[in-house]
Amino acid sequence: MSWDAIVVGAGHNGLVAAARLGQAGRRVLLLEALEGPGGLLGAPAAGQGAGSGGTGPGVRIAAQPTWLNPIVTMGLGLDRYGLGPGVAQPTRAWGPDGPVTLTAGSALGVAPETAAAYAALHARLRRLAGPLARFMGRTPPPLNGAGAGDLLALALDGLALRRLGRADMRELLRILLSNVWDLLEDSLGDGPLAGALAFDATLGGAMGPRSPGTVLPLLYRLAGAPRGADPEILIGALLKAVAATGGVLRCGAPVARILVGDNDRAEGVQLESGEEFRAPLVLSNLHPRRTLTGLLGVAHLDAEDVRRARLMATRGMAARIDLRLATLPEALPAGTRLVVAPRLGAVEAAFDGAKYGGLPERPVLEAVLVPGAVPRLAVTATFVPHAPAGSWTGKSRGTLETRVVAALDEALPGLRSEVTGIETMTPDDIEARYGLPGGHWHHGEFRTDQMLMLRPFARVARYRLPVAGLYLCGAGSHPGGDITGLPGWNAAGQALKDEGKRR
Amino acid sequence: MTPAIRQPEPLGLVPGPFHDRIAALNRQQGWTGWMGHASPTVLDTVEFEYFAIRNGTTLFDISPMNKYRIAGPDAEAVVNRLVTRDIRKLKPGRVAYAIWCNAEGNVVDDGTVFRLAPNEFRLCCQEPQLGWLDDVAWGYDVTITDDSAAIAALAVQGPTSCAVLKAAGLAGVEELKPFDIRSFRVETHDIMVSRTGFTGDLGYELWMAPGAALGLWDRLMEAGRVRGIRAIGYAAVEMARIEAGFLLPRVDFLSSQTHLRPGRARNPYELGLDWLVALDKPHFNGRRALLALSRQRPARRLVTIEIDRDKPAHHAFVYHRKRREVGFVTSALWSPTVKRNIACAWIEAPWVQDGGDLWVEIYRQRELTWNRRMARARIVERRVFDSARRRATPPADF
Ligand SMILES: Cc1cc2nc3c(=O)[nH]c(=O)nc-3n(C[C@H](O)[C@H](O)[C@H](O)COP(=O)(O)OP(=O)(O)OC[C@H]3O[C@@H](n4cnc5c(N)ncnc54)[C@H](O)[C@@H]3O)c2cc1C
Repeated sequence: MSWDAIVVGAGHNGLVAAARLGQAGRRVLLLEALEGPGGLLGAPAAGQGAGSGGTGPGVRIAAQPTWLNPIVTMGLGLDRYGLGPGVAQPTRAWGPDGPVTLTAGSALGVAPETAAAYAALHARLRRLAGPLARFMGRTPPPLNGAGAGDLLALALDGLALRRLGRADMRELLRILLSNVWDLLEDSLGDGPLAGALAFDATLGGAMGPRSPGTVLPLLYRLAGAPRGADPEILIGALLKAVAATGGVLRCGAPVARILVGDNDRAEGVQLESGEEFRAPLVLSNLHPRRTLTGLLGVAHLDAEDVRRARLMATRGMAARIDLRLATLPEALPAGTRLVVAPRLGAVEAAFDGAKYGGLPERPVLEAVLVPGAVPRLAVTATFVPHAPAGSWTGKSRGTLETRVVAALDEALPGLRSEVTGIETMTPDDIEARYGLPGGHWHHGEFRTDQMLMLRPFARVARYRLPVAGLYLCGAGSHPGGDITGLPGWNAAGQALKDEGKRR
Repeated sequence: MTPAIRQPEPLGLVPGPFHDRIAALNRQQGWTGWMGHASPTVLDTVEFEYFAIRNGTTLFDISPMNKYRIAGPDAEAVVNRLVTRDIRKLKPGRVAYAIWCNAEGNVVDDGTVFRLAPNEFRLCCQEPQLGWLDDVAWGYDVTITDDSAAIAALAVQGPTSCAVLKAAGLAGVEELKPFDIRSFRVETHDIMVSRTGFTGDLGYELWMAPGAALGLWDRLMEAGRVRGIRAIGYAAVEMARIEAGFLLPRVDFLSSQTHLRPGRARNPYELGLDWLVALDKPHFNGRRALLALSRQRPARRLVTIEIDRDKPAHHAFVYHRKRREVGFVTSALWSPTVKRNIACAWIEAPWVQDGGDLWVEIYRQRELTWNRRMARARIVERRVFDSARRRATPPADF
């Protein structure tokens, strides 16, 4: 059996890439190592048995309702496949003096001037994120051996920043590489509002709000859609889109090797079982390091590319903790995201611990209720090091769980006594289960030297790998992680374009 | 963790394994730095030393060269991945001149690869390469060791060098063909000899433990007394290497690791080293870029030119029809042996092909007054000095 294209990994980006290739008439085979598709978005991890353990339905990594970028939902016509309109998801930012509720651009529970300042900041950042959003839906421009000095100029061109107008452009350049703490403190003052935004800007990465370059991730977030849908609905729609174009998904099929022909072109893949599949086009949804040094193999690569793949910053910082609850907490409405990051300093302090490999004393986190027969609270705590003091132990897991529950108990009084079970996925666990080096949220740290035309690193930043016919299509490539579908969309587009040139 | 106590690095240039002998002979007290070692520039007069290379035997300390040992089950794969030549064809006991390139196909460095055993290589080169080697070898089962300080090396070059070595007790050295390696036992020391060198003449390079260095030096000096032996400095070697057409990194081209400005690195096609690139072997560093470059005309070429008149064209520009600037000189020499005024020069591609009507502008200062002259130049063969004795096996005794 031969195929026009093989996609390795059925994370949401793999699914998007497969659907776009299918749409262009390619016969696509999608190979997924796990029992089900969706990757970090969809495939729940079976009960880990850690902490107070159990055999629940398992932890789903990206638990918050999310949405794909409109370029993707429209490009694939996902509404035809059951993707509803989505719902706006408010954020409840907890603080000792009462919560602040945020919906796109408006803040409730703060002084009127703060609310006005927030509305203004939100509008300003959304405007500045505009050119970024356009840029996210395309292959980044080539570097062409340009020097570091040319880099910024090129970025400016590519971003079509000029359309912003002089004042906005100046403002963007001013804040782009600065730190989110200063921006938020200047605009909003300190408190749960600033804390929640600082949390969003640094979530999953190895930078605290005072680290330079933390405004950019916030802009990226703001460039996305302000609504969400249950992961199940997103995955369902994507699966239908793949099937509708004749794509075939095989789960439980871990790929061991990418096959390269004597002509230095990708020609298929080999599963761990030894089974082989042939196709002139191979797209990998896997982490860049895994794709290059694992599946492809260093023998096919120049030393520089191997070095960059080895050294790219990709230590995960986010842990998922699921609490099974006896009853639903009244203080948290369903469909609302709770953020516990009461001050800017709380986020920075949590980062300080992790910076030196320690667990945060007071984790900063987000949580959402997952209703069901056994209601659960799905928690993502950040600044949890990949491996505290060398490696995880039963004790350090226990410490993390205790501290997370303590933080939540403050925000949702009485919660502690409702907890009937805990399942924890540390970055280390995420790495092992999803074959994801570092277990990183974004498949690689989201910082300026690993973004745009440097994502994941120079020479492979345009999806195309050095071996012809081989592409990266996961979160490790531009524009990066989160649930957007854009890496998969852009990669498939680039592959089709290159194929067209060859014909 | 307690930090390891580090020995302070010595300040300034450090003496090499032959230093005591060289210092005693260094009448000019001329020293230069070479990888942190004190290396002689001229001991007596450069003319004496140069003519000793072409007429007698010379000793030149090449210990400062970087030497790396690459050993293990994947040694061949790693070296083949490093260099552009097909190293699978290099047999144990043989040496090959090689270059290596970065991912853009630009030359990182050049050097000699010694295949000491099926799974053991030594790489000798000008620039430090340990970091690069570690990168190239990542994922392979090899051990890479920096042997630079552990091995003393002496270049024994000149028409009587074989005779000197025989007289010094290295019986059988005459059997070595160019690029052969053989080990000899001299007194209690193992001396490895390769028939290699940087002079384009008959010559050998001797490799040994630093403890064997001074004893060997004395032995060679004694054996060479009636065969015109002379210790020499770097200036004479430089003359011989220009005649012989060898390139020197930092002088004729910049390693892709040392240049700062974009566009300053050079590829093998520009350097005229196409013959070292085996595009038909499996992937090696830079192969994809080199494949593309091999299909284009290089933008410029490094060539040897011969110049009318007898004044060396140091630092000269090259012109077409005396008007259009089309290149510049990197190394220049009036060759005393072939009696030609030669230079190594970068020339832009169209004028390499055209070849005719090239001029260099020679700058001369006489008693604090500068003047300049245009002199006609022609592109000639790279190896201006070539002697049958470089290849003859066994070499003549003289
Ligand atoms: C704790 C945590 C919480 C997060 N929460 C959110 C959130 O709330 N909102 C949000 O937008 N983003 C969130 N993210 C980020 C988001 O989940 C990821 O950026 C995104 O899912 C990446 O999608 P992907 O398709 O590129 O890769 P993945 O989802 O990682 O998909 C890769 C797929 O490849 C498969 N695979 C691996 N090895 C092989 C192999 N050898 N052969 C075949 N298949 C293989 C994997 O099993 C997986 O299915 C979170 C991340 C983490 C770590």
